[in-house]
Amino acid sequence: MSEPVATGQPTGLRDHALGLALCLVYVAVLLGTASELGLARDEGMYVQAAEIYGRWLELLVREPSVALTQEAIDQAFRVNREHPPLAKLLFALGHLVQQKYGLFATESASYRFAGMLSAGLLLWLIYVFGTRVYERMAGLFAALAYALLPRPFYHAHLDAFDVPITLAATAVTYAYHRSLSDRRWALACGGLFGLALLTKHNSWILPGIFAIHFGIVAWTERRSRRQGEPSRISLRPYWLLALVLLGPLLFFGGWPFLWHDTFARTRWYVAFHLKHDYYNMEYFGVNYFWPPFPMSYAWVMTFFTVPLTTLSLGLMGTAFELKRTLRVLRDWLRARSAVAEAPEPTQTFWLLLGCMLAPLVLITVPSTPIFGGTKHWFPAYPFLALFAGHAFSQVVLAVRARFAQQPWVQASPIVLGVWLLAPAWVETAHSHPFGLSHYTVAAGGVPGAAAYGMNRQFWGFTTGSLAPYLRATLPNGGTVYLCDTIYSAWQMLIRDGHIPENIRATGDISQADLALVHHEKHFAEVDHQIWTTYGSVRPAHVLTYDGVPIISVYQNPRRR
Amino acid sequence: MSRFRSLPWWLVLIVPAFELTAHAWITAHVPADSDWAAAADFVRLQQLPRDLISSAPEYTDPLLRRELGDIVPLAMAGRSDDSAYERLWVLSVGGSLPPEAPEGEPDLVREFGRVRVLRYALGRSPVLLDLVQALSSAEVTLVQDGVPRRCPRRTGGVPRGGGLGRPVLMPIAERFECDARRPWLFVGSIVMEDLAQRPRYCVWQHPEGLEPVSVRFSDVPLGDELVFSGGIYYEHERMRSGGPVEIGVHIDGVQRALLTHRDGDGWTRHSIATGAPTAARGEVRIDVRAQDPAQRSFCWAASTRKRETGAAP
Repeated sequence: MSEPVATGQPTGLRDHALGLALCLVYVAVLLGTASELGLARDEGMYVQAAEIYGRWLELLVREPSVALTQEAIDQAFRVNREHPPLAKLLFALGHLVQQKYGLFATESASYRFAGMLSAGLLLWLIYVFGTRVYERMAGLFAALAYALLPRPFYHAHLDAFDVPITLAATAVTYAYHRSLSDRRWALACGGLFGLALLTKHNSWILPGIFAIHFGIVAWTERRSRRQGEPSRISLRPYWLLALVLLGPLLFFGGWPFLWHDTFARTRWYVAFHLKHDYYNMEYFGVNYFWPPFPMSYAWVMTFFTVPLTTLSLGLMGTAFELKRTLRVLRDWLRARSAVAEAPEPTQTFWLLLGCMLAPLVLITVPSTPIFGGTKHWFPAYPFLALFAGHAFSQVVLAVRARFAQQPWVQASPIVLGVWLLAPAWVETAHSHPFGLSHYTVAAGGVPGAAAYGMNRQFWGFTTGSLAPYLRATLPNGGTVYLCDTIYSAWQMLIRDGHIPENIRATGDISQADLALVHHEKHFAEVDHQIWTTYGSVRPAHVLTYDGVPIISVYQNPRRR
Repeated sequence: MSRFRSLPWWLVLIVPAFELTAHAWITAHVPADSDWAAAADFVRLQQLPRDLISSAPEYTDPLLRRELGDIVPLAMAGRSDDSAYERLWVLSVGGSLPPEAPEGEPDLVREFGRVRVLRYALGRSPVLLDLVQALSSAEVTLVQDGVPRRCPRRTGGVPRGGGLGRPVLMPIAERFECDARRPWLFVGSIVMEDLAQRPRYCVWQHPEGLEPVSVRFSDVPLGDELVFSGGIYYEHERMRSGGPVEIGVHIDGVQRALLTHRDGDGWTRHSIATGAPTAARGEVRIDVRAQDPAQRSFCWAASTRKRETGAAP
């Protein structure tokens, strides 16, 4: 391995301009591709909540004294109280803007915009983070590598919490890291932590990661000082003070539902997530619905869904930094050399490693539900991308050193960047609009994963891909049994103009003109209900992705 | 120079090349719908009454049913085993074979684009009568306070709902109805999901209590054995919290087997000697009872068979 070369660069206006450009381009791509995605099950619930929260916001502007009564607050915020309100309030704002200015092409896009913006801002943040801890090249590559992860790309379109919490968790980590060398950032760390708490409960693990990391920082700093070195970093945990003070303040202050009956409602919220319901998830042909869940799940799914090149670079970057950090630490501890390099005071590697591994380790615990697929450990991916960016910059530096005299060497970052991002680009482009069905070549692609018995989708969002078929098959209207697509998601397809109003949803298979089955293992029983009810096993249409069935559509023989 | 000899840097060159090539190869080898249609047309033209049609890998099953679902009856799609069939057609993608494919070479192979059609000889079928398909000729009774009460055959009705947690949508079109107020208390041929989440074409015979629900078949070609398979609906069995179900198999009035299904057993197969001459005909009665009948959605498939079958035709 090569010697460390990149050790971080300060960021300036030009960096933020580039970050902003990354953000805007990504949001534009997301807006341009969102209409191909039907609303997902959870999105339907959040749209419903956002509509109600939006009405409360309007009331707050119109009649604040009424809006702030317990009755009005409870009426609005009782809906979907299992999740904090920040993201839903932002979804609501997007829709209020749409109602007033009509900025978005579809209604669903207005709800989804805050999620897309989170994804764009996350690229900006990754770029800045990568530049500060490694160098610009690493930051840029990391941002692009994250943007070109197929599963996060799908989730980046949604009005859901998984991308916003990834942004929030990365932002808190960034602010914490900055606060170690500049205490003014502690304030930002606390404030961002409060926003993270208001976004999703994944944020609960952050103080634990920081505490462990700060222990390492404190240990090395104390030892350094004992050896007579000057103070390099403050050991006063201002960040902790900010987390403890600002976090709860913003959490309780920003969630009106907790303003009344605070203790009982907070306890209910915490208990909901500590004793979460279990849902179905197929993994290697087995439908898991109850603990213990397979400990390999998060690791194998990461291997099967993150483009192989990106993953390899991420592991290379991690291995490179681990080796370097351990070597420095060993030499320093043994003080073999008078000029032994002291460990970097903020211990960046351990922080990034902790943030990358902690979400995966949490899912590895056999009692942690796995029904959310990869989205539950998305907060790990920015850090994987940062390590990939670091590996990329090391490759470029090595090439430059080796071929310093060659005239083409100046173009090597672009050539290598294109080469190393091309697989991720191809995989991500190919994954759309079947992001949750997509598996990389590590799984043998979509057909390989289907043959292994891996989950093909969840949330019923693929019904959006059936819209042309449904319009063509029911030109005079009719009824459709929706299987895993919830009613509010179906209604959004109508509101967006993908489905005409005279094609109605029904909960009765026997009364439907068409019945859908989303191919997830546990939905096979719906297939069988249809076979018995219709007396036939023959679907009229099968929506496929790379030859793998995604939805079967049955025609009711009694209503032809 | 030394750093260029280290493996990681070469991986940087090789991994993207592999990933791009593999991706292109995988997507290029996806069968077109026209491949499936051509393969299906070929099978349809040559299909005989005792032919089994299958596909591999397993995930292609909906595509097989889309093309050939009109000649794949419920009994084939939900079969408990392959004994009713004498030839097997396989529509295969990527060289995969279904578990029911016998060892050895197929006696026919044809390629239709990315779909390969294979045909295997399975030997003469030993099945004399499939009791699930013969259910309409049976008599069903519910014993209450020691008195057998006939469950009349009903047709029609509008099944309601759909979705997870329902073993079958009730009422089914043709059934023996034992109590209209308890819609689950009927006997009828359905497709139900077993503990392994496989479809089973079977007779729904939900117990009512300790007194049995009985299904009686008359004039059955008994053969040498009665192969009986049964299980409980997936969601009612998967938590392993329900009570046992007792099944009595009677042939010509003699109890030949008393089986107990416990949660976790899954779809179990039992071979029961009929105790009759191979050519004999007689009565078969299946009794189902359970101390606690709650969510005991028991369903069974059975056929009478002879042991010596000779060569395939």
